[in-house]
Amino acid sequence: MTNHLGDIQNSKCIFIIGANPAVAHPVGMVHILRAKELGAKIIVVDPYFSRTASKADMFARIRPGTDIAFMYGMIRHIIKNDLYDKEYVKNRVYGFEETAKEAEQYTPEVVENITGVPANQLIEITNMMARAKPATLIYNQGLTQHSVGTGNTRQTVILQLLLGNIGKPGGGCNILRGHDNVQGASDMSNLAHSLPGYYGLAEGAWKYFCSNWKVDYAWMQSRFKSPDLLHKNGFSVATWRFGVLEEQNAKNNAGTMIRGMMNIGSGLSSISLTDTTKKAMEKLELCVIVDPYFNDMGAIADMKNNLFMLPAASQIETSGTVTATNRGTQWRNKVVEPMYECKTDHEILFQLAKKLGYYDELVRAMGDGKGGFTWPEDATREYTQAIRSIGLQGITPERLKAQSENWHMFDPKTLKGSGPFKNEFYSLPWPCWSEKHPGTPVMYDDSIPVSQGGMGFRVRWTPKTPDGTSLLSEVELKGTKSGAKGHDHITAANVEEITGIKLSDEEKEKVKGKSWSTDTSNILVEKAMQAGLCPYGNGKARTVVWEWVDKVPKHREPLHSPRPDLIAQYPTYKDKDNHYRANIKYESRQNEKVWAKEYPMQLLTGRYVEHLGTGTESRSSIYLAELAPEPLLDIHPDKGHDLGLRDGDMVWIYGTTGLRIKVKCKFSTRVAYDTASMPYTYSGIYQGESILGRYPKGLAPYAVGEGSNTIISYGFDIVTTTPETKCTLCRIEKA
Amino acid sequence: MTPNTSMRFYCDESRCIDCHGCEVACKEAHHLPVGVNRRRVITLNEGVIGQESYLSIACQHCSDAPCEQVCPVDCFYIRADGIVLHDKDKCIGCGYCLYACPFGAPQFPRQGVFGSKGAMDKCTYCAGGPEDTHSEKEYQLYGQNRIAEGKVPACAAMCSTKALLAGDATSVSKIITERVLRRGSGRGASESAMWNAAYK
Repeated sequence: MTNHLGDIQNSKCIFIIGANPAVAHPVGMVHILRAKELGAKIIVVDPYFSRTASKADMFARIRPGTDIAFMYGMIRHIIKNDLYDKEYVKNRVYGFEETAKEAEQYTPEVVENITGVPANQLIEITNMMARAKPATLIYNQGLTQHSVGTGNTRQTVILQLLLGNIGKPGGGCNILRGHDNVQGASDMSNLAHSLPGYYGLAEGAWKYFCSNWKVDYAWMQSRFKSPDLLHKNGFSVATWRFGVLEEQNAKNNAGTMIRGMMNIGSGLSSISLTDTTKKAMEKLELCVIVDPYFNDMGAIADMKNNLFMLPAASQIETSGTVTATNRGTQWRNKVVEPMYECKTDHEILFQLAKKLGYYDELVRAMGDGKGGFTWPEDATREYTQAIRSIGLQGITPERLKAQSENWHMFDPKTLKGSGPFKNEFYSLPWPCWSEKHPGTPVMYDDSIPVSQGGMGFRVRWTPKTPDGTSLLSEVELKGTKSGAKGHDHITAANVEEITGIKLSDEEKEKVKGKSWSTDTSNILVEKAMQAGLCPYGNGKARTVVWEWVDKVPKHREPLHSPRPDLIAQYPTYKDKDNHYRANIKYESRQNEKVWAKEYPMQLLTGRYVEHLGTGTESRSSIYLAELAPEPLLDIHPDKGHDLGLRDGDMVWIYGTTGLRIKVKCKFSTRVAYDTASMPYTYSGIYQGESILGRYPKGLAPYAVGEGSNTIISYGFDIVTTTPETKCTLCRIEKA
Repeated sequence: MTPNTSMRFYCDESRCIDCHGCEVACKEAHHLPVGVNRRRVITLNEGVIGQESYLSIACQHCSDAPCEQVCPVDCFYIRADGIVLHDKDKCIGCGYCLYACPFGAPQFPRQGVFGSKGAMDKCTYCAGGPEDTHSEKEYQLYGQNRIAEGKVPACAAMCSTKALLAGDATSVSKIITERVLRRGSGRGASESAMWNAAYK
């Protein structure tokens, strides 16, 4: 989130696209409802009339996978009618012309044809959004899980930039994800393309981390099969299966196929192509799953050997930091000791490191460096002091603990503290540039100095475009002493010139060769703030990413499109080799056949409020199972009658994967005539057959059913490989 | 004017999002058997754009409680603070109270197809029953007694959007009045007028 939950109450208009917080984030929903009570309008754009939509002032039913076209329709209307913030765009945005040019073709009529949203509704929504100052934008997996997912999310930012809503209380792009600590997992980079803190995988980043971890870079290189692998994306949670099953991918992985897999707390069946995961697991020589509950993949994969399930402790049996959706960190206390034979995640990982022979290196940066350390305080110090790219250095266990003991001293709407905390925001939302810094509740806010929580974060940018155009902002930051406007990021080489502050010889020695994000003395950051400048620089936001296939977001039909007539004009990408080490199909899959002929229905997937992720935890709760015992396929009554169904009949859903699942149908006008919807959170039945016999005695969940991912179509995001679960075609028949 | 200290539930329809958190909080707090629903969230006009709404319903602890009036064995009693409770040892499980209740609040645990209905069970406002406060027997028969601990009922405490309010009538009314006035400030007087809302 650029802003925070309480800040939504400052908004005059809440535009929700591809998100259903009433179900996925009920605790966040209260802020939206409070804003509504204060007069904000709520707009929901979704293929599904959700519980969130029931609270909206306006609901537009959009065809899945057409969000970019819809938002270009908005952008075109905004530009044509002078509804954009000209001053803001001139000062803070690069690439307006390219955006306007791409938007030109998306007339309301074209948008209606692509998205299914009536032209007049598009205009009405756009006017409502554009005239509200400020307006906030909320999205979630409904935008990210597409082959164009990255384009979707960029488009939300571009829309908000044109309206001048980024960097303002009540504005921003806010992602309500609804899983505990998702932001923390992202910051720690439990991902395959970067070191923690978005530092990337280049040599400099590795060397920086090796020095923080107090290990030799050469030793680190020696841990890899070949040194060049350090700098290549690994397999992602979506692509690893192709590294087990498809020989062609060995060349992307130093000549070997994947032979073992260890999964810590990931819901494997919440990823598309469950059958591929199953086959991959069954081929592995070693499969370890660490989970507090019996992870359902342990039963879906039919394995007699090589499968180990380790019981992990739950969150109440351990302590440490969690990072909420607003980038705020909180301290969580242990309530009970780990019960029975379960162990905490870190204990399992420490024991593994001992067996593998690198425990000493793993713990060297904590405590006395010889294995004498306090968990989790020393681990917290290690990561916060290393991750300066997003300004974690001001976060300490002591500050977090003091805050969590004194909730009553903070204002829930502004996060501002009072009394002894009057110079802090609750949870020290990053960037928190130093131990005296208050944290940053609203990112990119240039109306307050950086030292008081202004501006945000930015990694890996240059002050000039490849054609030499300056990317420097034309806004002077609040509190700037020198009158300087936009400026480059602060390094040892330019610190004196940009800040106008002379460094002592001692200081110069400390920062030699460093930049704001690698200087562990924090001198460069402090000098920047002292001069009223921003450590990472002050540049324009760019709507053009020249390194990517889509320099500006482009509408592209999903791989499995219900509108084959639009594929020629809006084709998907070329097939992409070595995409997170797997060769991924795009156009070859889209053109394999006219999918919509055999599979005329679109299948939406989402959640029930009772169940989270794969449901391994929530389906094991008797009361939640009582409320939501099985998955139901929402189908429009007219469609149901056309298929010869009665409400409550069992149906087969055939997917483009060639597989089928059996579920009960429920007549509902939440979906359009040609669309059906079901939750993805179930397992225990696989292609019509019960697999409960494969669960260890007493560990089968109470609520069982088919998981939608067995039949969700192939397809992955072009940048991140996030599965395209939100654009699936299917055929429904009476069972 | 003396404040009205009788205890009330109020479900703010514009805040309720059908998350069933209140139901689960209730079952979890009192370890109720599956099938016994002291509280339920109902959905009205499901899937109808512009008309769908939700409401959380339990025993409303009526001032002039019909259940108490019809009970043949007089097992109900109304506390000074308005909370309607009953004595399970006296209850004969006849079901008259269910006929009388406008909200369908009384629950009858069943066992098997022809099993006996057993003593009636219903929302206690988390105030236990006639047994000694915080005794094992009170807990077994009625569940937690949070009121004796100075806490609001578990359902209202859990509510993620603060749609479900519980407390003395004066406090609940104050919160609702504030919300109605706020809504009025942003959406025009017609929608804020309570009479319109009440008799729509």
